[in-house]
Amino acid sequence: MLRLALKGAVGHKGRLFLMAMAIVLGVAFIAGSYVFTDTMKDSFDVLFEQETSVDLVVRADVEFGYGSGRVPESLVESLEGLPGVAEVLPSVYGFAQPLDKTGKPIGGLGPPNLAYSWSEAEAELTEVVLREGRIPQELGEVAIDAYTASEYGFALGDPIDLLLPSGVRTFFVVGTAGYGDADNLLGATVVLFDVDTAQLVLGFWDEYSQIAIVADEGADPEQVQQAVQGVLPDGVEAVSASEIIAEGREGVEQGVGFFNTLLLAFAGIGIFVGAFLIQNTYRIVVAQRTRELGMLRAVGATGRQITWLVILEALVVALIASAVGVGAGVGLAVGLRALMGLMGMDFPGGSLTVLPRTVIVAMLVGTVVTVLSAILPARKASKIPPVAALRELESTYFKSLRLRAVVGAGIFLLGLALLLFGLYADLGNALLLTGIGAGVIFIGVSTVAPLFARQFGMVVGSPLPRAFGVTGRLSRENAVRKPRRTAATASALMIGVALVTVVATIVASAKASVEGTVRDEVIGEYQVEPTSFGSVFTGGLSTEIASRLRALPEVAVASTYRVGEWRVPGTGEDLDTAYATQAGVRSLIAVDQGADEVVRLGVSSGDFTDLARPGTVMLHEDFAAEEGLGVGDAFPIEFPDGSSEDLEVVAVYGADLFGSDVVISLDAFAGHYDWDRDQMVIIRLAEGVDPEAARPALEAVVADYPNAELNNAEEYVDKVASQLDLVLNVLTGMLAMAIVIALLGIANTLALSIMERKREIGLLRAVGMTRRQVRRMIRWEAVLIAVFGAVIGMLVGVGLGVAVVTAIGAGLQVAVPWFNLAIYLVLAALGGVVASVIPGWRGSRLDVLDAIAYE
Amino acid sequence: MNAPAARVEDASKVYGEGDVMVRALDGMTVAFEKGRFSAIMGPSGSGKSTLLHCIAGLDTLTSGSAYIGDVRLGDLNDRQLTMLRREKVGFVFQAFNLIPTLDAAENITLPIDIAGGDLDQAWFDTVVETMSLRDRLRHRPAELSGGQVQRVAAARALVARPEIVFADEPSGNLDSKSADELMRFLRRAVDDFGQTIVMVTHDPKVAAFSDRVVFLADGRCIDEMEGPTAETILDRMKALGG
Repeated sequence: MLRLALKGAVGHKGRLFLMAMAIVLGVAFIAGSYVFTDTMKDSFDVLFEQETSVDLVVRADVEFGYGSGRVPESLVESLEGLPGVAEVLPSVYGFAQPLDKTGKPIGGLGPPNLAYSWSEAEAELTEVVLREGRIPQELGEVAIDAYTASEYGFALGDPIDLLLPSGVRTFFVVGTAGYGDADNLLGATVVLFDVDTAQLVLGFWDEYSQIAIVADEGADPEQVQQAVQGVLPDGVEAVSASEIIAEGREGVEQGVGFFNTLLLAFAGIGIFVGAFLIQNTYRIVVAQRTRELGMLRAVGATGRQITWLVILEALVVALIASAVGVGAGVGLAVGLRALMGLMGMDFPGGSLTVLPRTVIVAMLVGTVVTVLSAILPARKASKIPPVAALRELESTYFKSLRLRAVVGAGIFLLGLALLLFGLYADLGNALLLTGIGAGVIFIGVSTVAPLFARQFGMVVGSPLPRAFGVTGRLSRENAVRKPRRTAATASALMIGVALVTVVATIVASAKASVEGTVRDEVIGEYQVEPTSFGSVFTGGLSTEIASRLRALPEVAVASTYRVGEWRVPGTGEDLDTAYATQAGVRSLIAVDQGADEVVRLGVSSGDFTDLARPGTVMLHEDFAAEEGLGVGDAFPIEFPDGSSEDLEVVAVYGADLFGSDVVISLDAFAGHYDWDRDQMVIIRLAEGVDPEAARPALEAVVADYPNAELNNAEEYVDKVASQLDLVLNVLTGMLAMAIVIALLGIANTLALSIMERKREIGLLRAVGMTRRQVRRMIRWEAVLIAVFGAVIGMLVGVGLGVAVVTAIGAGLQVAVPWFNLAIYLVLAALGGVVASVIPGWRGSRLDVLDAIAYE
Repeated sequence: MNAPAARVEDASKVYGEGDVMVRALDGMTVAFEKGRFSAIMGPSGSGKSTLLHCIAGLDTLTSGSAYIGDVRLGDLNDRQLTMLRREKVGFVFQAFNLIPTLDAAENITLPIDIAGGDLDQAWFDTVVETMSLRDRLRHRPAELSGGQVQRVAAARALVARPEIVFADEPSGNLDSKSADELMRFLRRAVDDFGQTIVMVTHDPKVAAFSDRVVFLADGRCIDEMEGPTAETILDRMKALGG
């Protein structure tokens, strides 16, 4: 039996080739994802492994969030005097964005612009390595990361402009640095100063970010820690170096973990689509081997043996293809790393990390998915009667379509339930549940699809006979004559198109919402914001901008706001709302008193001006309703510095512009966060001022701050739209793999069914159909199938997209991306044309005589 | 004397080389006149199917020439041959004559539709009447009996009014009654409409419907007979040792 299986697999390798390709692709992606992220993690680990002589780090006791806190300078003296303390090394870190030689800011698109102090003594804690030149020692000197230096042409001794919290200042490059053998840290720019300069330019005055302590040789670490603890004021803690390293590792793991999940999600999609392809291919191959399998039955093989034979064959193919896939995956990881390096995101090198887990998981998934996909066709094979060996059985099996409808509807409803559960119920793994729900929905739809295949094909294909005569007529007939096969083939494409549609729908909705929100809520004519989406990482806006704008006669109000984190006091558990972030950390915004003059806050109860009082808060009406809070109630809140307070709710508002449930005043913000940068400035011009005329004056102010830009409402919306489009394009690109697999599936099915229709094609050629007409016939068949898949995919995709958007809520408007859908339709049709090229060519080249010969 | 509807001159068709070389046709010369029903007979391996394929433009000769009317087939490329088949030749095969997804009427008009030409409705009706297919026109091949399928194939071959119709064992799969019926219809086509038919068969009763029988053996034409009957054919076959 095994030998038969092996021979079978080899004998049919032509037919099984595409199936094997699908397995290789899917497995390669899984293996590649793991190898890539494992390698990334390990290479970062290298940075943390270095032996450090630092024993303790003194820093602000920040519970959560992005802020880093500060410690007073005066602490250094107290620490130096302690017994057992050999060295005290203060350091400062913050953000500084370098400008290139034309004055444009470098980076800021995601990876941060890091700045910190660096001294000989302190090189211990950071893993920075000096490449050229020397460490900066006085004001005016700076060392930069090697990548920035080479990419933007900064040599030793060159001047470089840095955008600091206080504005732009010029420094001189005295050295370049790297991380291990990486030229930068995953795309982050790094500038290094000496400690005193860092304090000055990063706005620390008489504070440091942290103080590292080296204990005496032979001193008892415990005792030293105790002594240090003794001199620390409230809000400052001493942490052992190993804890710091562990925290660093955890941070890397989290980031890498997220990346890994994303990659695996795409790999999973690829495999899911591949499973459809495999099952379809296998079903066709089995159908074509009816004669051969019938003969086996005739000479005494039982149905069960046939089933095993088919499964074994699939297993053989799966094992070989999976092994190849693992190898390809390693190659993929290498390629990915090289790609990232090209894009400026370097990470410390080293050999690739291929864990046993990777190989096992990848091979397991490839094998199991293939075998599972082969089970149904294998069972079908067992039903072939022995007489099939002798007669040509044109299988017009007519199994109950009603059963299919019922089963399919059932599966669909199950998937729908899972999806809704994932979206609305407050369970742990919401994303996973939603994903599984979507997957089950796909299976349900593809089960039911054959019921529509015929009608669809006849209707959509109706122009074909008119356009191409009998050739078109035959295309249409051929596309619908085996609805199960057509539907199965089209289903693979459906999945890819549906997923792309979901993303497009979400993006379109986001765009429409932003547009609507800005139109309805923003009164101010202009906004100033960071050129790249200002997040806390990339530095934000200098407070000078707002104050200078206010001084202009054209400006009536310049209102600013900032973003911070908060948490429900207690264990960090989240509230009953749908969009809590990790570990219950949520974001709030802080506004000044001019906020209601530039934005229609939509205050429904209470009074916004009361927010100026200390200890107050304003809540968004949806959030307030969910929590059952109203004006006058107490709202408990924990700030990142660990302090908890009960704030008095003084107003409830409805505007969605800020996207925040919780609003406090800027004064209150200053009390709990030491982040002194603005997120955005919204400007309202004075009465009678023409916006166009006022613009130059505004631009003049903004021009001094290279990371800030001035936009009016329209420009702002456009900017958001283009950022969203970027996300759409990237995700679509990644989903393209699934679509390619699906198109391969269409080509494969076509090729196989042409083999089946050899005689028919031969007859057509005999009575005068030209090769071109044959190709045309096959081409339009492919187009019909592809369009069928795309249309169903779009329907499902829009449905899923709308469901997700509605579930997110948060004032999101639902919008259907009609334009995108039209494009997808055209592309799908083109995809069908491409898929038909090789099968069509081969079909037209069929030897007429061969085809009509009768044994 | 008119040019023959089809002929071959010194035709040879060789397959393979050396030890496995097969001479399917060995310098054969034979002609088929217009307006007549000709039969080609011979044992297995005599080259009768090969002759039919080569003279119909479905296969190429190794040497010698094949003609349909005045057109030398060897001069034509694939596209031209296809056009020729479309316009001048009709086929009836032993099996798999019809496109399963089209009904009988559509199968009959298939060559005309492929060419994008106009259907002569009156002629179509005449042929359909001749073949007694009026009430089966809307049926698919799966719904027709074996005899009806072959008649539809014959109707298709006739509707385009080709110069010549080639039939390869057209009644091979039919029971004797259906076979008889089919042959009568073909005979009518020749008698009433002047159609030229060249048919390959191994069955003397079928060959008896023809005007002239050509006997083949080992790739050569070894005998001929005019005005055959089933008995005379059988006798001649016995005499030839076939």
